[in-house]
Amino acid sequence: MTHSDLSKVRQPIETANGLPNAHYTDDARFEEEKQSVLFSTWAGLAVSADVPEAGDAVPHTFLGMPLLLIRDKDGAVRVFYNTCRHRGMILVDAPRKIEGAIRCPYHSWCYSTKGRLVTTPHVGGPGQNTHDAIDRDTLGLIEVRSHIWRDVVFINVSGNAPDFEVVHADLLKRWSEVEKPVFHGGQDSTFTLSVKSNWKLPVENYCESYHLPWVHPGLNSYSRLEDHYNIAEAGQYSGQGTLVYRQLTGEQGEVFPDFDGLSSQWDEGAEYIAVYPNVLLGAQRDHAFAIILEPIDTENTVEHIHLYYAVPDTSAPLRAKNTVLWKEVFEEDVFVVEGMQRGRHAAGFDGGRFSPAMDGPTHCFHDWVATQIDTFTIKAAE
Amino acid sequence: MTSALDAQLLAAHASQDTTALVNLYSEAADGAQDDTARGFYLTHAYVFALEINHPAKDVIHATLCALGREQ
Repeated sequence: MTHSDLSKVRQPIETANGLPNAHYTDDARFEEEKQSVLFSTWAGLAVSADVPEAGDAVPHTFLGMPLLLIRDKDGAVRVFYNTCRHRGMILVDAPRKIEGAIRCPYHSWCYSTKGRLVTTPHVGGPGQNTHDAIDRDTLGLIEVRSHIWRDVVFINVSGNAPDFEVVHADLLKRWSEVEKPVFHGGQDSTFTLSVKSNWKLPVENYCESYHLPWVHPGLNSYSRLEDHYNIAEAGQYSGQGTLVYRQLTGEQGEVFPDFDGLSSQWDEGAEYIAVYPNVLLGAQRDHAFAIILEPIDTENTVEHIHLYYAVPDTSAPLRAKNTVLWKEVFEEDVFVVEGMQRGRHAAGFDGGRFSPAMDGPTHCFHDWVATQIDTFTIKAAE
Repeated sequence: MTSALDAQLLAAHASQDTTALVNLYSEAADGAQDDTARGFYLTHAYVFALEINHPAKDVIHATLCALGREQ
């Protein structure tokens, strides 16, 4: 398969087109992006709050790849291939607590929560658990590189991306002031939305504020278009900021506690940034959120939304109200990403044109995707 | 292995009672007629002990090592 000519995408915003239709509708392009955009970078898999206690294990299928998210016995969150090193059997098929070892349900090879192969029953014959050909030290579970930031578990499947802190050095610096412990609100503070859309469209929609007055008129009543600014760092990340963030209040006027030590910038300021490729983060004075986009296939995506607070114990009614609020906002976006997906089945659509004034963050993402694909293709050809 | 023990083992497997499996396979090992059978049953006791972090796992491991059947 030859890859698309993406030179039009990588032009300056004034003359650029968006990514071609095939990048939203063609399974071959989805497979291409799996390798060049999602496996080769630091993609969001889950949140560490999914495995709060030692031994908690949650199986995932990420782009067809079976993975196991686990908190080891010493508390470190790890990601392994969910595959036994013996016959390739799936090890854990439902979320559960690993009390001791991970036992393969097929021939009972056992692994520690750190991935070490502990025993290989009958491998040398009945009742003989060793064999010279089976070196346990080289047959531990295969670990996927992972990094946790703002509770999101990022993974680099290819294993050869630069370190997360290197890739995202500028973003980490930008948000160093809001680099505080975050506390997941619990079961009432997470929800998912399934959208009939390629995974990139929710990123593109999230990046820009251009649509806010039209799609989110409720927000626009206090957060007008001119109160927002674009964030677009070429080759890195993009999003939007607001200058009029307003705290949610409860029946008695109560609010969530603020994160400690924030400057006045955050009194009414908030930022919403897409951490390429598939994580959308929000930072505000009193709560934060993370959205992990799970690409199911070319035209289906699941959005996993998690809300976080500055302290472990917050008002349950206020949390519930906040969850409802955000769910309404994110649901308002569903018809947009699904509509853009359908729109890309018009054969002659050319990827669209960007507003140089308003679409900088979206173009930044398209340019990044195109660059990832071009770079990966060149390297693969070498 | 006695038929009674065999029945208990089958019941423990059916109910996924891992603690019982550790104990019953250990009992089967104690009654084994030779080292091969003893190693077989102890291996099962060890695997299930590992799975649930049973306090007997270290002792079973040491026994298997002494028999030259584990490392």
